[in-house]
Amino acid sequence: MSDIILRVLLAALVFPGGLFVIVLGLGLKGLERRIVARLQRRIGPPLLQPFYDLAKLMRKDGFVPELAQPGVFLLAPLIGVASMSVAMAMLPIAGVYTPAPVFGDLIVLFYLISLPALALMLAGSASSSPFGAIGFSREMALMLAYEAPILLVIAAVALHVGRGTGAVASFDLAGIVDYQRVHGPFLLEWRLVPALLAYLAFMPANLGIPPFDIPEAETELAEGPLLEYSGASLGLFKLGAAIKTLVIAALGIVLFCPNGPTGALGLLLFVVKCIVVIAGLALFRVTMGRMRIDQAVLFYLKWPVLLGGLALAAVTLRI
Amino acid sequence: MGLFGKAARKSPWIYRINAGSCNGCDVELMTTACIPRYDIERLGCQYCGSPRHADIVLVTGPITVGVKEKLLRVYAQVPDPKVVVAVGICPISGGVFRESYAIAGPLDAFVPVDVNIPGCPPRPQAIIEGLALAIEIWAARVDALA
Repeated sequence: MSDIILRVLLAALVFPGGLFVIVLGLGLKGLERRIVARLQRRIGPPLLQPFYDLAKLMRKDGFVPELAQPGVFLLAPLIGVASMSVAMAMLPIAGVYTPAPVFGDLIVLFYLISLPALALMLAGSASSSPFGAIGFSREMALMLAYEAPILLVIAAVALHVGRGTGAVASFDLAGIVDYQRVHGPFLLEWRLVPALLAYLAFMPANLGIPPFDIPEAETELAEGPLLEYSGASLGLFKLGAAIKTLVIAALGIVLFCPNGPTGALGLLLFVVKCIVVIAGLALFRVTMGRMRIDQAVLFYLKWPVLLGGLALAAVTLRI
Repeated sequence: MGLFGKAARKSPWIYRINAGSCNGCDVELMTTACIPRYDIERLGCQYCGSPRHADIVLVTGPITVGVKEKLLRVYAQVPDPKVVVAVGICPISGGVFRESYAIAGPLDAFVPVDVNIPGCPPRPQAIIEGLALAIEIWAARVDALA
């Protein structure tokens, strides 16, 4: 019993959650800022910039606004970091790491990855700032819109794996990875191509990347829910956002292309895949403007839902 | 120099306050930071939209009577340690608006100023030099905390 507890704690706090995800997440964030700068023909910040920013913010003064709810206000940034650390511990890395079954399956993971958005909403509403309140309402509208397609994607993949293994549906993450190692990655499975496209559309909204950075909109809302934060709690929010980028990229890799060799080489390949995803997101960041919230909600309820539904229909009907 | 001082030297976030400026200095500031030629993000600088995220405060304009209270309120919201830079001749002495009935300045009558960057408007190179001085002062202040 204590053996399992130790294993779970190690997975959540050292590898691949906790320490590993913090270092890799911040490193990838630095790389992304560098890529963005190069695409704009600038030199850009040093690769370790997010580490410097975090260390600096830890030393700064922290304010709690007079009208804010101090408990919720200070707790919200912790929710983001903690939930993402556990989410990373749940994701298998093919050939390197298989999560203990006690962590749960794809459905638990789905709830975990919507927690940071909830934390942001809590922060926005607890901070007593009108910008925070607008950010809160926009985040909520956007979340309602992008959660429908991601559910369809998850259902399509689970049904496909379930059909292959003889069950109705398999939400087991390790099972999904094993299935792809035997039958080839879902990247090449034509029935799941619409699901892949829907997942790609879901990423920028969940991570707050243009054209869907509407809740934080720097130019109109001055970072919305983060406006009133300072010092260590702002640092935790930035850390949570960096980790979340890694988790969402890793979930995409698990669902569509987890194949790789065992051992250190497998870990290296995983990092390379993450870098490819991050570079793609950086391209979005430099080339896109920002949509209005009504346009974004309509977009999500039209195209990604349609794509996810197509994948689900193709998998269910077995055409 | 400690660990935090080293990190702080590489991560100064800047915030602009326009205290009744004619916008000349603000245009120069945007030129300094936003175009690839003078890219100050390589020094780790980042413009922030909120005074609560800021480390270095850049003030432009001659501090008009109307804006004085607001300036002090925003200044109080910048968390310690912080550094104040007066950009252009207006916050330093009032410039061409000196002795006007509408001016409450100069800036150092209300707020401790660390670096003055004279000019009307100052050249981008002068602003970057002033910023480099401000970063040194700021890193020393973070070190003094430890």
